[in-house]
Amino acid sequence: MGFFDSMFGRRRDRSAQVAKERLATVLVDDRYKLTPEMKEQMKLDIAEVLARYLPSVDPDQIEVTLMRGEANDHLKADIPLRRASSDM
Amino acid sequence: MARVITITSGKGGVGKTTTTANLGTALAMQGAKVAVIDADIGLRNLDVVMGLENRIVYDLVDVVEGRARLRQALIKDKRLPELCLMPAAQTRDKDAVSPQQMIELTNQLRQEFDFVLIDSPAGIEGGFRNAIAGADEVVIVTTPEVSAVRDADRIVGLVEAAEKGPPHLIVNRIKPRLVSRGEMLSVEDVLELLAINLIGIVPDDEAIVTSTNRGEAVVYDQGSLAGRAFLNVARRLGGEDVPFMAITDQQGVLEWLFGMIGRRRS
Ligand SMILES: Nc1ncnc2c1ncn2[C@@H]1O[C@H](COP(=O)(O)OP(=O)(O)OP(=O)(O)O)[C@@H](O)[C@H]1O
Ligand SMILES: [Mg+2]
Repeated sequence: MGFFDSMFGRRRDRSAQVAKERLATVLVDDRYKLTPEMKEQMKLDIAEVLARYLPSVDPDQIEVTLMRGEANDHLKADIPLRRASSDM
Repeated sequence: MARVITITSGKGGVGKTTTTANLGTALAMQGAKVAVIDADIGLRNLDVVMGLENRIVYDLVDVVEGRARLRQALIKDKRLPELCLMPAAQTRDKDAVSPQQMIELTNQLRQEFDFVLIDSPAGIEGGFRNAIAGADEVVIVTTPEVSAVRDADRIVGLVEAAEKGPPHLIVNRIKPRLVSRGEMLSVEDVLELLAINLIGIVPDDEAIVTSTNRGEAVVYDQGSLAGRAFLNVARRLGGEDVPFMAITDQQGVLEWLFGMIGRRRS
């Protein structure tokens, strides 16, 4: 990030940056022929498997993203857990 | 050895026809024998961009269907005797030609020309398949917009599947001022996303509008940035290692340098 960016960084992201990030996702989705429906199903399946170990996974909170990398593409899953109560 | 190069894009209106006309003209100015083929059957355009619309008698479909010989359908350019145009049929549709017929046509043209440039229609269907059938190499044109880049990536996949070798990329209609404000994808951004070999950066340029109005290639306007950019692409196609020029915005305040991109090319 340059001086220019940091000065204005608090404002909305520059549209070129937004475009680049959106493209980074959509291109990999296209390449792997991953549809939004398949992503939804994948989240349900992930939650189902994880439920064997972690009962506190909410499938609606999961975010699944395909990312382009230098050598490999990556599947990134962000899986928030409902915090276990402290008196456990 | 003749080279058959198809200029394509996926998304429509990004500059394929403009690119074909200018690369054809530039290569002929550099002394090569060049045929440009309008493969956009039903939406003939290359003829008007090159100012040759009044000379058309026969077209590509006439040749393929045997009503005209190759020589009869090839129209000589007004200024460059070594540049010829094969116009598209205007009253037929894409199914009038098959990929096999395109291969035969390009093989005939190989005998007489150094370069055969094919202006592809937009899309990923029959017309595009026909346009790449006879090609040795593919040039993909995109603008720095989300939809154009996305469609270009689809084409990259199809070109690779068709075993045409690694495609070349032209990023057209760059607006340096928007790029420097962070409001337009830069050439670097596009390259990073598509990960193919860059062969040209063409700025958005009013000179293209005026020369297209007159039916002249913009490469004749050596003072124009777009003209110089297309001349450079032609030299790179010929194997020369031409550095990417600095495109300065209209007011000359912000400079836009391509040194980094130049080094990225392997
Ligand atoms: N670098 C540029 N600067 C300004 N105008 C441009 C530039 N490149 C192309 N244009 C204009 O954009 C329009 C579309 O260009 P062109 O016809 O070459 O695109 P195309 O990809 O062949 O379109 P189609 O998909 O319909 O065949 C034309 O009006 C052309 O003059
Ligand atoms: Mg066109």
